[in-house]
Amino acid sequence: MLQKLGERKTDKNQIPFSLIIVAFVLLILPLLIHNEYIIHIFVMVFFFAFLGSSWNIVSGFTGELSLGHAALVGIGGYVSTLLFINAGLTPWIGMIVGAIVTVIAGIIIGYPCFKLRGPFFTLTTIAFAELLRIYVSNTETGPFGIQLKGSMGLLVPLLGNAPHFFEFSSKIPYYYIMLMAMFVATWITFLIRKKRLGHYLLAIKSDPDAAQALGVNLTKYRLIAMIISSAFASFGGVFYAQYFRYINAARIFGLDLSIEIALIALIGGQGTILGPIFGALLLVPVGEYLSLKLGGSLPGSDLAIYGLIMMAVVLFMPRGINNIVVKVFNNVDNFLMRLWRLKPREILNKKGRSP
Amino acid sequence: MIILELKNLSKNFGGLKAVSNFNMVVEKKEIKGLIGPNGSGKTTIFNMIACYYPPTEGDILYEGKSILGLRPDIVCQMGIARTFQLTRPFSELSLIENIMVGAFATTSEEKEARRRAEEIYELLNFNASLNQNALDITTADRKKLELARALATGPKLLLLDEIMAGCNPQEKKELIDILLMLRKEKDITMIIVEHDIRAIISLCDKISVLDRGMKLVEDLPNVVANDQRVINVYLGEEYVAAKSK
Repeated sequence: MLQKLGERKTDKNQIPFSLIIVAFVLLILPLLIHNEYIIHIFVMVFFFAFLGSSWNIVSGFTGELSLGHAALVGIGGYVSTLLFINAGLTPWIGMIVGAIVTVIAGIIIGYPCFKLRGPFFTLTTIAFAELLRIYVSNTETGPFGIQLKGSMGLLVPLLGNAPHFFEFSSKIPYYYIMLMAMFVATWITFLIRKKRLGHYLLAIKSDPDAAQALGVNLTKYRLIAMIISSAFASFGGVFYAQYFRYINAARIFGLDLSIEIALIALIGGQGTILGPIFGALLLVPVGEYLSLKLGGSLPGSDLAIYGLIMMAVVLFMPRGINNIVVKVFNNVDNFLMRLWRLKPREILNKKGRSP
Repeated sequence: MIILELKNLSKNFGGLKAVSNFNMVVEKKEIKGLIGPNGSGKTTIFNMIACYYPPTEGDILYEGKSILGLRPDIVCQMGIARTFQLTRPFSELSLIENIMVGAFATTSEEKEARRRAEEIYELLNFNASLNQNALDITTADRKKLELARALATGPKLLLLDEIMAGCNPQEKKELIDILLMLRKEKDITMIIVEHDIRAIISLCDKISVLDRGMKLVEDLPNVVANDQRVINVYLGEEYVAAKSK
């Protein structure tokens, strides 16, 4: 049985050792680099990797594409900021309230759609996000006299350096918060992939009928994915508000943000564990660079380039860049082990070719 | 003991009567064959038993209770597992993970699910390795995978839709032995749709013949194989000629 042809290391879900070194470098990076702008770019990379992971859990794993993830991000951001402004509640607690509200919204969007076949979830997410964007942009005073301030947006009260109010004068705490959030999201994705939930979600994505015939409750497991995803997205919104100290409906509920999140996960590799991180590492710096260089002369050029990258990835790597990047890191692993005169992993696994 | 009873089952698709007034009783541990020409309603009956769609008329009793209106996943949890005629592997998962999806119906622990999946993997003697992607395997392995996933759900009643199509004679013999062993050791009742008449005769206790949605005859395999009506609508004179040689 062990000698079967074509047997080789195919466990794509194993995290290469050399990636742990990269994670360690990210941990000490702020000690090495003192350039605020570069730190900012990394914060944005982590932010989008985190939101990409959130999107990946519901869309990458179940195949139900969300093109309105900004709605979930925006609800989280608005709820915690409104609580902060009006009730003086710290966003550390506000984010929990935000997550609860976002999860309820996620269930309201998901429950009816997950019972249907077809593109209804995608359409509903777009409609829901647009509805919120238009409503909040045009509403000065919402229900119960809540000041939404319309298209002006909300300014987060400035308190200087106030860690217990999720405000820091330096970018470095934000860097670590988002880095940790990204690690946690990746770790949870890893757990989901290993457990029953991940098997069920990927089965639903491949063939819902066959999955149901094997006892999988389609609506229930899609909803569980949606709930986890919503809670993550909500934290993204809270972070966005606290980091920029300002949110407005056009950006945080906007279709641009929704598409950016989806693109990052799609290019990184949907249904993979590390894909959203690779997607964000590729796209966010490119986007930042382009909007810096060409933002004045050619606005929107970053989105055009995203489109080109997307086309290239779809043509040459339809399953995203994840597999190739992981392969590269596996080779680095083998190289490092040879360097230390250790046996390469392929031998340790007793499978496949010798080096 | 009766495990499944189909009462006056009918299914219309628009004006087409796919199945009409079909009655059948399946005893526990029985292996029942379902044969007939293409389009005679065999798969339609399977789809109704698995609650994939409801019958237009009639009732389905499983262990004495009607299962009409239940969802397919509930029916699976109750112990009815089916395979699909056109194989439907989960392309995102490896071979062993495909089987684990079935095993998760009985356990939520991934270690236990993997252990059960590996047991079934060994039993069915796949050509492909455990971690191969489920899309990269041969037709015979795909058919085995359909059976493996259904078995992993721990069924009492198995609905097998042409799992031997595309297998060579040796693979067919292997599958027949496995099915007989499953009935003996795990007390699994089976309903089998198959076009290989030799296979179905050697497997089944009784064979039910369908023609244009109606039951033509139900009897012991050898009686059915020599029935003039069955020869006329399905087996053909050539089968009789070939057999007498």
